[in-house]
Amino acid sequence: MDSLHGLMELVRDDLGVPLDIPGDADADLADLPGWDSLNLLRLVILLEENGHPVPVHRLLLARSLHEMYTLVKERR
Amino acid sequence: MTAPGNSPLGPPLSEPIAVTPWGNTWDQVRDELAGHGSAIVHAKLSDLEPELPAGQDLRTLLGRDWTRYMDLTHADVRNRYAASRMLLKYAAGAVLRGDPDDLELAYGPTGRPYLRGCDQIDISLSHTEDLLLVGLTTRGLIGVDAEWADRDMYDAGLGRHICTPYELILLAGMPAGEERNRGLVRLWTLKEAYSKAIGQGMQFRFTEFGFGPDGRPVRVQRPDGTPGTGDEWLFRTFVLKSGYCVSAAVYDAGFGPLRDPEITTMLDQDCVDAINEALDEEDD
Repeated sequence: MDSLHGLMELVRDDLGVPLDIPGDADADLADLPGWDSLNLLRLVILLEENGHPVPVHRLLLARSLHEMYTLVKERR
Repeated sequence: MTAPGNSPLGPPLSEPIAVTPWGNTWDQVRDELAGHGSAIVHAKLSDLEPELPAGQDLRTLLGRDWTRYMDLTHADVRNRYAASRMLLKYAAGAVLRGDPDDLELAYGPTGRPYLRGCDQIDISLSHTEDLLLVGLTTRGLIGVDAEWADRDMYDAGLGRHICTPYELILLAGMPAGEERNRGLVRLWTLKEAYSKAIGQGMQFRFTEFGFGPDGRPVRVQRPDGTPGTGDEWLFRTFVLKSGYCVSAAVYDAGFGPLRDPEITTMLDQDCVDAINEALDEEDD
């Protein structure tokens, strides 16, 4: 998971959120079908498993997947 | 002077009531609110979607939410957004005896919704999959949340991001499998409901407050399981026949029963007394 595209694939394939890649990169998370706060927690775990630990309270600041990816990059 | 948790209302929260905008269960909702000070209603998204108004009628119903609605690009997200606001406004309109179109939904700094100009009633909204849920209270504050009772949470490793150390011990003591997972779903919905009631959302870290087991009075607990709040908060969890786990958190500000929440007749008694006093002085 070394790119925004990779993060979006993780969300689509592992969380089952039907994403348009890359079209939904900047979409508000609330505008993504099937997205909810539990998916955010599952994404935290997936990021950990992929070697990119990000605390939940940091990821809560993100309004889009693009912003999430920026947070992941900042913590490398 | 009110004392939190000192309300002489009856049994606090009853089973959520199934409703549709033009259904016949609204009297039950009004009775529930009058008798207990709180009511929870639920509806199926698939039942409401065909009833959604279109064009200008939808714009009128949504009011200031229209702009947000137009910003949503996915049709199913838009429909859910509109249907949830329609349910909330019909629920509030039913208990306030007002026209849903005339009610204005507003949001506080943390996104917490409220009915502008109608502070005799507090509201909360939740939706998941095909379920729409609205909580109403005249006691003080309310938060509601719903989740599919069998959503995979425990085996997905979510417990350590949601639970206090004490809760993790309690969960580990439950039979593995469905029961333990449902225990975690219950805790999740309780925490979501409580954090919605206090207007914090997940910014209030879920691992720093907890709840004890069901079947006894449920209170907020500190991470080590010691009491965190008192009788001013009450919590209930229900599992609907449709398979959803629903939790509600109600803060009792001690206002006591509100027999007449209607928007057209409700007057603040202190205000009435002040006006009467002023009129009496004029007469003298």
